[in-house]
Amino acid sequence: MNIDTNQALFEQLAHQLGQVAGFIYPNEVEIQWAILIVVYPYITGIVAGAFILASLVKVFNVVEVQPIYRLALLTALAFMLIAGMPLNLHLGHPERSYEIFLTPQPTSAMAMFGFVYLWYLMAVLLLEVWFEYRAQFILMAQQTRGFMGKLYRVLSLFSNDVSPQALAFDKKASKLITIIGIPSAFLLHGYVGFIFGSIKANPWWSSVLMPIVFLMSAIVSGIAMVIIVYTIISLVRNEKVDMRCLDKVGLFLLVAIIVDFALEALDYIHRMYQAEESIEILGELISNKLFTSLVILQVLVGMFVPLAILAFARIRHLNDDLRKLMYFVSALLLQVGIFGMRWNVVIGGQLYSKSYRGLMAYKMELTGIESLGMALVLLALPFIILAVLVRLLPTQPMAGQPPAAH
Amino acid sequence: MKIPEQITRLGMLLAGVLAAVLLLRFVILPADMFSAAPHQAAKAVREMAKPVHYAGMPACRECHADIYDTKSAGGHRYMGCENCHGAAAAHASDPATGNPPLPSEREFCYACHAFDPSRPNGFPQIEPTEHRAGKKCIRCHDPHDPVPPSAPSDCSGCHGVIAKTKATSSHATVECAACHEVPEQHFTSPRAALPTKPAGRESCGQCHGSDATDSGAPRVDLASHGDSYQCWQCHYPHAPEMTR
Repeated sequence: MNIDTNQALFEQLAHQLGQVAGFIYPNEVEIQWAILIVVYPYITGIVAGAFILASLVKVFNVVEVQPIYRLALLTALAFMLIAGMPLNLHLGHPERSYEIFLTPQPTSAMAMFGFVYLWYLMAVLLLEVWFEYRAQFILMAQQTRGFMGKLYRVLSLFSNDVSPQALAFDKKASKLITIIGIPSAFLLHGYVGFIFGSIKANPWWSSVLMPIVFLMSAIVSGIAMVIIVYTIISLVRNEKVDMRCLDKVGLFLLVAIIVDFALEALDYIHRMYQAEESIEILGELISNKLFTSLVILQVLVGMFVPLAILAFARIRHLNDDLRKLMYFVSALLLQVGIFGMRWNVVIGGQLYSKSYRGLMAYKMELTGIESLGMALVLLALPFIILAVLVRLLPTQPMAGQPPAAH
Repeated sequence: MKIPEQITRLGMLLAGVLAAVLLLRFVILPADMFSAAPHQAAKAVREMAKPVHYAGMPACRECHADIYDTKSAGGHRYMGCENCHGAAAAHASDPATGNPPLPSEREFCYACHAFDPSRPNGFPQIEPTEHRAGKKCIRCHDPHDPVPPSAPSDCSGCHGVIAKTKATSSHATVECAACHEVPEQHFTSPRAALPTKPAGRESCGQCHGSDATDSGAPRVDLASHGDSYQCWQCHYPHAPEMTR
């Protein structure tokens, strides 16, 4: 570490030390898991949520959701490709990332991440996308010339069987992969919650409900993200939004929010009723450090308001444009709420002392590896990837190709 | 039965990937890449290469045995010498390099002894502006055996939080000794002789019982009020308004 870095670190710690209230231990002043660790569960959550939305079509035969099946799948893929990057950047040595596979450590949940990630990406997402698009790749390879034609040929793995039997096999395989994919998506994001829930020394994190709370909030953020992407793409392409589909997705979103809210409320009620020794400092944490991000952003703006909007949109007979706007606005607010939830878990858990007698502060940097700038770049990347993906892989089956779902 | 084309294609891809992985794992990459031992060894080497700044208490003891003995018997016995005097490895290996600093400013002692309500009960704390303002701590307190030059005149010297809480409550004028019997030895050797705590309801009944003579205090019938609970189970004696 050179002198400049030392100086910067010193200044930052001195600033944070000035904001400490009460009694803390010396090593608690530096917040170790910062903004990138907030971004990581947020992105992974969208992957799991978008995939589960897609699975409604394949496994549960929800016909109405069919128009956004492919979009949900591609959204999951675009976010999945970025999901590991916040961790790599946070650890600071991306060139060593392959070592997680070379020296597996089965007793560490964190060290197993590489395998969970690889399984989900390779065995679930890519396979499902391939089976969904295989017939279309073949058609597009025949219709397109030049580089793109060759690319589609490679993407189809030089397959050329579009017989009814082969298409039937694609559907069957796709359904089987989705059936495997649902518990895998639960594993992927339940795992993220498990990482926090299993830290028994931190009462803000240590809760068996944590994996399931993460999972439900993942479903909320994933569905909401697909609504946002679908609305924007329809707007850009000047296509009509399928309101039957959007209404159905809005209903699933509403149910998911209610379950998510119930679980989170249960978690808080349980903590308050148990009133363990940490309850007072956690009360201070919520009423001081996390008031804006938890009470205002996560609960009020990010949960109650969209809940009310979605419920209102269902109860009253409103016209299509208004309902579309309401779904879009509530989906945006839900992103704020879920991001707030990740923030409150990750940062909140490090803002109070293990002595239960003091509160710390987190000062986010604007530039650098672990900074707001980097977080914004990481949050923008999936959209760029998605923009490429939807150009490459059409979100609607081609004319002449039967829809894959049923 | 004919194997579907998809399975053949994916199987070939998978076999290719698998072959590449196995080739990398067993043929191309050296075996020590698959062990954590080289990482651990390299880390040990990195750590060992760092300069040593601290000498540790045993090194100080070799030359300063008298101070060490004084400190070992006093309230600062669990403090390392270098906590106050700074890293002294250079001084320990060659005393000619100069003496470690002797912190003498008041602010230095505030780090542990300035009043902070979250410090443990009984930990010696002062209000920097009220306690001998402007004087250096070491003029009255020997840092190696920090016994107060005279026994604290009142309980707030060590029990600041309780004193401050009580001062704002309706018990502000009640002396500590009204409820606690404090052995004389507690002032000089706090842990050797602890004050008593009221055992039964009668102690509170002296002021709050229906037959008490104190005029201002709220009265209750001790026989019927609060079943068999002790008073403190509902009323915090140092701030009775803070009733649970």
